[in-house]
This record gives sequence, structure tokens and C-alpha cells, in this order.
Amino acid sequence: MSAVPSRRAVLGLYSSTLRTAKSFSSYNFRNYFVRRTRDVFRNIQTEQDPSRVQSMYQEAVKDLAVLRRSAIVNQLYGGWRLAVEDPAKPVLQRGDD
Amino acid sequence: MLSRLSRSAAKKAASKTISPATFSAGARRNIVQPSGAERASVMDLPSTYKDESHFTPRSDMLGFKLEVPRREENLKEKTRPIYLDMQATTPVDPRVLDAMLPYLTDQYGNPHSRTHAYGWEAEQGVEDARKHVADLIGADPKDIVFTSGATETNNMAIKGVARFHKEKKKHIITTQTEHKCVLDSCRKLGEEGFDITYLPVQNNGVVDLNVLEAAIRPDTSLVSIMTVNNETGVIQPIKEIGALLRKHRGIYFHTDAAQAAGKIPVDVNEMNVDLMSISGHKLYGPKGIGAAYVRRRPRVRLEPIINGGGQERGLRSGTLPTALVVGLGEAARIARKEMARDRSHVEALSKRLIEGINSQVEYVVRNGDVEGYPGCVNLSFSYVEGESLLMALKDIALSSGSACTSASLEPSYVLRALGAAEDMAHSSLRFGLGRFTTEAEVDFVVQHIVGTVHRLREMSPLWEMVQEGIDINSIDWSQSQH
Repeated sequence: MSAVPSRRAVLGLYSSTLRTAKSFSSYNFRNYFVRRTRDVFRNIQTEQDPSRVQSMYQEAVKDLAVLRRSAIVNQLYGGWRLAVEDPAKPVLQRGDD
Repeated sequence: MLSRLSRSAAKKAASKTISPATFSAGARRNIVQPSGAERASVMDLPSTYKDESHFTPRSDMLGFKLEVPRREENLKEKTRPIYLDMQATTPVDPRVLDAMLPYLTDQYGNPHSRTHAYGWEAEQGVEDARKHVADLIGADPKDIVFTSGATETNNMAIKGVARFHKEKKKHIITTQTEHKCVLDSCRKLGEEGFDITYLPVQNNGVVDLNVLEAAIRPDTSLVSIMTVNNETGVIQPIKEIGALLRKHRGIYFHTDAAQAAGKIPVDVNEMNVDLMSISGHKLYGPKGIGAAYVRRRPRVRLEPIINGGGQERGLRSGTLPTALVVGLGEAARIARKEMARDRSHVEALSKRLIEGINSQVEYVVRNGDVEGYPGCVNLSFSYVEGESLLMALKDIALSSGSACTSASLEPSYVLRALGAAEDMAHSSLRFGLGRFTTEAEVDFVVQHIVGTVHRLREMSPLWEMVQEGIDINSIDWSQSQH
């Protein structure tokens, strides 16, 4: 396998993963994947052992491929706005009025 | 054998000449008895019948209208309620869907087909999924049987073990706070002549081990106790129960881990569990799939409910739904990988929710053990009826208890078993937090719950009396004295 990924490679992977995570239409999925991406890459940043860094990097590359496809499917079928995304709308409203 | 066959063939040929009317009178019973038209029931449509597109709101919909949004319409116009009912079901993780999609498109083979590549690739997917599910609970892949869900697994385990050992053993132990499908399976077995002991639980919802030990009889065949309660989040001491039951020979231990698998660490060997139920849609997988753990060493013998082609060790015949199985496997793999991250996220949200509500509303009681699963918070708001709170909170998808009983206005039997008074059981709400819940959602919920509880209490005469210092319990509500 390839050597330990360079700092630039990790940062490049981080920015494209984050961009993909932000492209989810559904509020909950978008927030989760943004949060997870930050968490995963912070762990890579703080990891000292080079072989661990390499395996974490490889895993993140695989996750990005899955995430790209998932984001496309989510853009096709997701995307209704949740009440929490729309603070201007009055709440406490019954459906039958 | 051959002569019998030819004789019946001859009889069949002879019967063809007899008219159908005379046939039924004197004929001997064949293997398949045809039934006449008089036994078929055909009903006329009632005059009030309207076609399928007509939808009548039911009384249990709490006044909400069913509006199925159409994708063609503008997505920005309507807002959807935020989802806080993770004990009822969880959204399918996009990564799980991504793993399933190949099996819903090109890889459509039957996993039991052994003669071609379509079958092999589907089988490979199923076996990988089996491995992931087994890893999640610390089992051997061969111990996993795929079923349609935790309800089927519970039925299979309880009825299967009890019926297999019915000659010698006729006693089953379970608890009062189990899921409906466990209780109903036990009720059915009770009708068949089994003795069922429904153990009471302590006020925090946890089973007392001494009570359990006292209930064990020489003819006890099965003990079924759930790992995490679906309404209160109470975690039972499964490890201690398993160790206790191991001391008694011949008692099988079943646990319903539908709410536990993938959320808290579960290990079948450490817990000495013989049978375990897992549900796909409670761990961000698809609905319609579940798994049973059935121990092989020492072997647990049970009578299958579904007979057929002998798939899944003959315990659950029928072609496996490859895509769903792969989805469950991927969900289990992700759950195992993300358990620590999910757990700390859910814990933080749970703390935020409870502290947010407690700091602004008084007379709130948390039902169940405080040490339970943090993603299930069951709160009772005194002097407010749970259903009216739900009605007022249109933008929050919550439940007052289990989804199976959410249609009835009966107070939850689980809360009653915990010793909650009827009014407190009526005023409970269950908040289900999960992997995809955000802090903004929790803040939104806290803000609206607080506002609504205050508003409803302002309207309530009971609340007024409490403010004046009258003890509600001392009031005699009956009119008979006048």
C-alpha cells in the first residue's frame, strides 16, 4: 500500500467529504454527516501512529465514495423542510383549522 | 404404495362421471376436499362504501389531516414535523440504503440458488450480512437466523421453545413490562395449557433478581426478559439474570434486544443468552427484517412456526429478502463502528433535553430508571394530559408510549407496572433521540414543550387548585354525598 498520506491529501479529502456531506437535502442526514466528517478528520489529525493514520485515511476514502452516492439518492428523494429549519413559521397550529 | 396409487387414480377417473351434486353425498374423503359454492362467502359492498381513494380520518388521528405530499409540488411550501420517536422506528441510514440498492437493481438473484452466479452473489451478500449481525452481538455467524422482524423472532423463540418442551415443561417466566408481542405470545401459550408467570418490576422498572429466582420452578422451560424497554428505556440486568439462570439446568433464556442492539454493548456469551431478538428498523436499517440469535452450543431446540424449504437451519423457511438482509447487515456494521460516537451524542442530547425541560417546568417526573438508555426519555407532565399535549405539538412527532398502543387512550401498561398513578401514566410523553437528532431540534422541542405545558396548565382547573394549595388526592370526586 501507499505511504502515509500527506497533510495536503488529508485536507483535500476532508474538504471534499465535507462538501459532499453538505450536499444532502435532508436536514438530519446533512447535519449528521457534517458532524461525523469533522469528528473523523479531527481524529485523523490527532492520531500519532502513522500506520493507524494510513488505515483511517483509506477508510475515509471508501466512506467518501459511499457518501457521494448516498447524497445523490438523498437529493432525489429527500428535501422536505423540517419545522426546525423554518423559524419564521408559526408553530402550535392544528391541521383542521 | 404403487397399488394404492393406481387404485386412487382409478377412483378419480370414476368420480369424473358422477355429477357434482351426488358427489358430495356419498363420496369418501379424499386428501383435498373440494368445497361447494355455498361455503364461499361473498359479501355485497355496503351502501356507504366509497372507492379506495376516499379517506376517512379516524378518531385516533387526534384531529390531524392526512396530507400525503406530492413530490411534484413545491418542496419549500410545507414543513414536516421533526422526528423524536426513535423507539417506534428510525430513519434508514443513507449508507444502509446505498448497500441495499445493488440488490434491488442488478443483483436480484435468489440467495438459495446454488447453480448460477446470480445466486452466488446474493448468497455472498447474505453471508456477509450474517457476519456483521453476529459481530454486533458477539455471536457466531451460524447462530443467526433472519426473520421478518423482532415480533416474528419473539413469537418464534417463545412459542418454539415452549412447544418443543411441552411434554416435560409447562412453565414460562416473563415480565409485566415486556413488549406486546411477547405478552401476547405468552397469553396464547396460556390458552394452550402453559403456566405463565408475569414478574412484577420495581418502581424503577428493573426486575428484582430475588423475585425472579423465587419464580423459577423445576418445570420452567423459558425465561423471556427484554434488554431495553421500548417505553421507558430501562436496561435490565441481563448479565446477572443470565448468570442466575445458568445455575438452573434446562432453562432457556430469551431476551428481546430490539431496542438494545446497536445502541448499548450486547454480548450473547457474556450475558449467557440462549435466544435474542433483533429488529432492523430500530438500528437505522430497513423495516421488514429482523434476526434471531439461536444458540447452537449448547443447542437450543425449538419448533419452527414457518415450515417449508428448510432455509435458515429449518427454523425459518422462505426465501430471504436479500436487499433487506444486506441492509440489516450494513446497519449492524455501522452501528458497531459508530456506537461510541452515537452514544456520546445521544447522551449529550438527552442531558440537554432533560435539563432544558426541568429548568423551565415544574412537576415533571421521569419514568423509569435514570440509568437507562439515554435515547429514550419518558417524562410525565403532571396536570397535563399527554394526548392533548401531543395534539398541540403539531410540529413535533412524539408518542405517548409504544406505537402499537398509541391509538388507544388507555394509559400505558408499562408505566402502570412501574407503579405510576393513573394520572401520571396518562400524562406521559416519550422522547426518542437518535443518531440523526440535532441539538437545534432538541432546543426547538424544549421551547415548544415548555410553552405548551404552561398554556395547557393555565387552562386546567386542576392546576389552579394545585396553585391554591389543595391536595388533589384528598378530593372526593363522586357526587353521591349530595
